Amino acid sequence: MDIFITQLSNGLAIGSIYALVALGYTMVYGILRLINFAHGDLFTIGAYFGLTILVSFALQGNVSPLIIPWILIIMAAIGVAIIGFLLERVAYRPLRNANRLAAVVSAFGASIFFANALKLIYSPNRQSYPADIINLPNIPIFGVDIQSKRLIMFGTAVLLMALLYWYINHTRTGTAIRAVAIDQGAAKLMGINVNKIISLVFIIGPALGGAAGVLMGLFYGQIHPEMGFSFGLKAFVAAIIGGIGNIPGAMLGGLLLGVVEAIAGGYVSGSWKDAIAFGALIVILIFRPTGILGERVADKI
Amino acid sequence: MIKKTMLALATGVSLAFAFPAFAQDVRIGLMAGLTGPYASEGQDTKRIIELMIEDLNAKGGINGNKVQLVIEDDGSSPGTAATAATRLASTKVPAVIGTYGSAVTEASQDIFDEAGIVQIGTGSTSIRLTEKGYERFFRTAPRDDEQGRVAEESLNKLGFKTVAILHDSTAYAKGLADELKAQIDKNGRVNTVFFDALVPGESDYSVVLTKLKSANPDAIFFTGYYPEVGLLLRQKKEIGLDAPIIGGDASNHVDLIKIAGKDAAKGYRFISPPLPTDLDTPVTKEFLASYKAKYGTYPGSIWSVASGDAFIALVEAIKAKGADSEAIADYLHNDLKDVQGLSGKISFNEKGDRVGDLYRLYEVDGDGNFVLQPE
Repeated sequence: MDIFITQLSNGLAIGSIYALVALGYTMVYGILRLINFAHGDLFTIGAYFGLTILVSFALQGNVSPLIIPWILIIMAAIGVAIIGFLLERVAYRPLRNANRLAAVVSAFGASIFFANALKLIYSPNRQSYPADIINLPNIPIFGVDIQSKRLIMFGTAVLLMALLYWYINHTRTGTAIRAVAIDQGAAKLMGINVNKIISLVFIIGPALGGAAGVLMGLFYGQIHPEMGFSFGLKAFVAAIIGGIGNIPGAMLGGLLLGVVEAIAGGYVSGSWKDAIAFGALIVILIFRPTGILGERVADKI
Repeated sequence: MIKKTMLALATGVSLAFAFPAFAQDVRIGLMAGLTGPYASEGQDTKRIIELMIEDLNAKGGINGNKVQLVIEDDGSSPGTAATAATRLASTKVPAVIGTYGSAVTEASQDIFDEAGIVQIGTGSTSIRLTEKGYERFFRTAPRDDEQGRVAEESLNKLGFKTVAILHDSTAYAKGLADELKAQIDKNGRVNTVFFDALVPGESDYSVVLTKLKSANPDAIFFTGYYPEVGLLLRQKKEIGLDAPIIGGDASNHVDLIKIAGKDAAKGYRFISPPLPTDLDTPVTKEFLASYKAKYGTYPGSIWSVASGDAFIALVEAIKAKGADSEAIADYLHNDLKDVQGLSGKISFNEKGDRVGDLYRLYEVDGDGNFVLQPE
């Protein structure tokens, strides 16, 4: 039982990262019906921004370890948000009325560009966050010592997701975002500036992805320029499990994928965990073709 | 008359064109992982070979011919390696050095074999690479069965009764893990209580570490590569798993200290051929001094240095037999005996494997240095 709870916490922690990244996929899909394949790389950029800020401002030792994560998350999120905004302007907006496949190709191009830019700037070698930034005691839950960093990751992710959920559902701008997602033409007739809303989505999604990147680097330690691919893929799967285009679905899908992976890795075999996790995806899609919380069929891609 | 002049002219012209053939450059191929997860190894390899060629050319090259390097990046991945090998084959180099990673090397073997090019693997220790009967494949790395034997020997000597074996499903790591398990079963001095794999390239290994914790072994033997070792050490400390990790020879890279942090890396042991800085032959000392002078540091691992061995062997062969693939392969098989290389004496057996006893046990000290353990 102890082992089970520990594995559950492992799964929820990595699942929080999947969920945060999945939100970016799902928001963009919800609004543009576009899979932003460069999103995984925005996550990677967030991790590198975090490391750069940590090192260049010499935060370690000068700032309380409880505050460092927040500084890094906020600053990296802002940086990645700017890149996300530019990405939409340069790579997607000119293709808004073109063939849908053109935008997908453009997304892949942007992804390759980002990965290689990171290699050029930071070298293709793996980088690591210093090992002893945050040393916190374990916290006992149900009699099991859970690492406090797991709780911080999970807590931060849930907090960010709750904020987003509130923002989308209880503010005027959030209402506008939902309106654009449902019908762009009608939203325009209602006086909503669709271009602005799309830009906003490309700010919020990447900011969350960047925050996830910082959490990843801070708590797991190692980052490399191509990690966005595998994380992006997992998060994309999480978004589909939950029902792409659906925000609570992305959160649920991410956490579920993390937990299924942890249980599969912990009780079956480490080398089979991806096969089992993706097998679970297939089973879910057989019974719920639109994902667990999805209403629409993902018919475009 | 006109005809004669024309003939003279033609002869003159053809002579002029033919002339450079006397001082033709010898081209040698290098396939290395300049990008991808093992980029540190690949970059090091490139630096070493470039340095050695520079020195050699400054001394007049091979029999007066300058040596020229043709480099292709294998991206540390089998897929990219196949492309890189095809491109190298199309340049018609007689011999290729490389590469790091058994799976990566394996992806290129067929292509070089078909093109008739001599290939000398550097960081490729998987047994089956030399069991396929390729006439022109050699390696300066030792084989995994040798390593498996030494690993079992060391586990026993260190007094561990139960061991968990962890690999990463790559050709190399799986091969070594199987070999170690076979040795353990054969000798019956140590028990295997856990045998599983992790997925390389991930960031979070807490799941497999938690599982290891519940298996409660005396020691964990991980056969994979240094990036994963670094993370395992770091995350092992965080989850409070006390069993020490012992690694195979793919983990002897200084980067693992950077990833794990000095605290978590302390006490980590691994089996490896001696590190460059522990070699004290005059040839090696001279090489290390010129490497340090040019790049300001020492090579990070033994595998890039093994590429230097491959280069030395090739130069010997070309010096004796010329830049012809068949002659080079023949020379390496039959005539090359105990040439002083960077990591020790070089000779190859009929399979193309390196002959000799290379493995040692290392331990990481509190400052992140790799310390050679007395035998």
